Amino acid sequence: MTDLTNELRAQIADAVATATPLNIVAGNSKAHLGRQATGQTLNVSAHTGVISYSPTELVLRVRSGTRISDINQLLAEHNQRLPFEPPCYAQRATIGGTLAANQSGLATPWFGGVRDSVLGLGLINGKAEHMHFGGQVMKNVAGFDVSRTQVGAMGTLGLITDVSLKVLPQFRAEKTLMMPMPLPQALTYMSRFFCQTLPVTAVVYWQGQVIVRLQGEPATLQAAAQQLGGSEMPMHEAHKLWQQVREQTLLQPQADEILWRTNVAANDSHTMVGDDCLLNWAGAQRWQCLKQTAAKPAGAVQYAGGDRQQEVNGELDKTSQRLQQNLKAAFDDQAIFNPGRLYSWM
Amino acid sequence: MTSMQTAMPRQQLAQAMTNIVAPAQVLCDDENQRPFECDGLAVYKQMPWVTVLPDTVAQVQAVMAYCHQHAVPVVVRGAATGLCAGAMPNASGVLLVMTKFNKIVDIDAQLAQATVQPGVRNLALSEAAAPYGLYYAPDPSSQIACTIGGNVAENSGGVHCLKYGLTVNNLLSVTMVTIEGELVTFGGPGFDTPGMDLVALTAGSEGLLGAVVEARVRLLPRAEKVQVLMAGFDSVTAAGDAVADLIGGGVIPAGLEMMDKLAIEAAEDFVKVGYPKDAAALLICELDGTQAEVAAQLSEVEACFKAAGATSMRIAKDAHEAAKLWLGRKSAFPAVGRISPDYYCMDGTIPRSQVGHVLTRIQALSEQYGLPVANVFHAGDGNLHPLILFDASKPGELEKAEACGGDILTLCVDVGGTITGEHGVGLEKMPQMPYQFSDQELAQFRAVKQAFDGQEILNPGKAIPTLKYCQEYRSIQHD
Repeated sequence: MTDLTNELRAQIADAVATATPLNIVAGNSKAHLGRQATGQTLNVSAHTGVISYSPTELVLRVRSGTRISDINQLLAEHNQRLPFEPPCYAQRATIGGTLAANQSGLATPWFGGVRDSVLGLGLINGKAEHMHFGGQVMKNVAGFDVSRTQVGAMGTLGLITDVSLKVLPQFRAEKTLMMPMPLPQALTYMSRFFCQTLPVTAVVYWQGQVIVRLQGEPATLQAAAQQLGGSEMPMHEAHKLWQQVREQTLLQPQADEILWRTNVAANDSHTMVGDDCLLNWAGAQRWQCLKQTAAKPAGAVQYAGGDRQQEVNGELDKTSQRLQQNLKAAFDDQAIFNPGRLYSWM
Repeated sequence: MTSMQTAMPRQQLAQAMTNIVAPAQVLCDDENQRPFECDGLAVYKQMPWVTVLPDTVAQVQAVMAYCHQHAVPVVVRGAATGLCAGAMPNASGVLLVMTKFNKIVDIDAQLAQATVQPGVRNLALSEAAAPYGLYYAPDPSSQIACTIGGNVAENSGGVHCLKYGLTVNNLLSVTMVTIEGELVTFGGPGFDTPGMDLVALTAGSEGLLGAVVEARVRLLPRAEKVQVLMAGFDSVTAAGDAVADLIGGGVIPAGLEMMDKLAIEAAEDFVKVGYPKDAAALLICELDGTQAEVAAQLSEVEACFKAAGATSMRIAKDAHEAAKLWLGRKSAFPAVGRISPDYYCMDGTIPRSQVGHVLTRIQALSEQYGLPVANVFHAGDGNLHPLILFDASKPGELEKAEACGGDILTLCVDVGGTITGEHGVGLEKMPQMPYQFSDQELAQFRAVKQAFDGQEILNPGKAIPTLKYCQEYRSIQHD
């Protein structure tokens, strides 16, 4: 519960004055993501604590070094949850890193990803100016949406000091169903979870089965389970599976492997459809571990493992690259923050 | 910069445009351009220099490239239903009217996604999706006329935002033409793309970053069951408490609207749907989901409203009655229009807990300015729409209404809210931007603007005030 905003700002001002690149670190749970970090460590891990939490407003505002596991615990005490269900990475993940690395979890297609819960944030830019964008209310269109732009930027646009999030009520019941089927059929089958009103909060395809998590009112779950059929997975097994998918431990690259990830149209029947693939988000997010020597799956991001000095997020078209370079300069013209972490040219 | 600059001669600009589009798609005389001189906020008017109505993306690219090359301002316009003068033309610029881009490119019923051109009307998309059991969730009050391009520009909301989100939460990808005339796409058919979220940056950017030429949006399945109920309260504070108790208790309604006494009376006199005219505040609550879900939630809502002191309650027994209960709310603006020669619709958002306090303060402002204020708002997400009643034919009343509106917006900021929830800043709310944001924050916004539009010729003078403007504003406030 410490506010280190002033200290962090002073460190950034020093770095700006001496043109020293910074590597933003809090829980250090995501060192394996993005391109290899360079620069002097800017440690945010002690900048923690809840600034405000009003369960009836559904709004939580926390300092960026606050751990996801602590947030989950606080919300659970008030029967609420983070809608985007991010990984905790062995209690090390923080909200700042979760936002910067866009760690959107299981329920993303139905309750939105990180960006959909972000209402506002504090940011220290490359001039060491501390600013606030968005707010603590559900709707806000004053000024550009600088807050959501940070989602996925890997800290390249500045240091996030605090985040305001929309939270939601906890579910009252849960049930997990399994339906064995071959993949081509599963791709068609899973699209019903976008088109029908079902109380679904997670759908994966793994080892020959569509696995569906239902959450909501007990009576609703009962009706949905009857409608869907399949067999129910015992609760302890289901919890273990969902934890593995959420914590990204189901597929872990060996030393000579790369974990690839791609985001596609959920019913895409050409991209990453091997037996060894994990399909999350009803098919819209796909994961596969391959030997480093194997060909890169088309359009995939080199999520973890392999050479982290090359581009890992793929190529951008010229216009997108130019605009992102301009945006980088707009926030951080001396390239102090996380240089090269997102792209080699940024 | 543009106001200081000499405009390109009108005929020369019009001629250049006819080299890109057919002569019939270029307007440059006052008579034909008159319908384009304002948007939904008609007190701000400006005759366009030249109006262009392209119908291909290549034409949009060519217009933008030409304007970029010659530093001609460009204002992009959709249906112009906006309420902040965001689409007001520029006196020396091109007004780029996108209404010919009115095709739904694709409805992918399997993925529940639609690809649309920017001129597609919001309601037309839901109508086209209806045969598949799908609809487009963001539903601003202007949905019959407003277009998806404009919805993206303003990040439009509606009555179902709390549960289903704003435009940004339903937007998968955006294709736009940059001021240089380049075509670029952000996002994709999945729910995520690597790197910074430029789809989100585009949403609500008020036409300052590019011209949207295509959008891919999510569609949602129609709920199995929809239930509407209405409850009267003898104070706005009691109604506000009911809202907090309901949401804090774990119910997220599909829609939750509040009206105050003046709005209730005006609506009831207009459409006669059976609103309790003796109530000081009215809540309209819509629940949706499966039969079982709605039944369970309905009993919770009833219990919550009773405990909060509801003086009357009515549950719609069928879809017809539900539509009637909504009709009063949806007719609130024209209903207020009947009881006053003019009204000025404000748009601010506050934390829900501040509803009672803010409405009391608005009442005090109403008395101070001698102008009645009717309040209609999206209680679920704290988005207020105070309607200030005035008579523009009386000298000074418009100015008084604007001053009263300005005070309401700064009040929203004072209680931890914002000067605009869903209408945008446009030209209208420029004076309040320095109240909500510091000079550093505004400078950061300008830097973002310049990252996309270095010459600042896209919708110039809107949404983001210059530092000079802010200094002038602050010196006036201190006088």
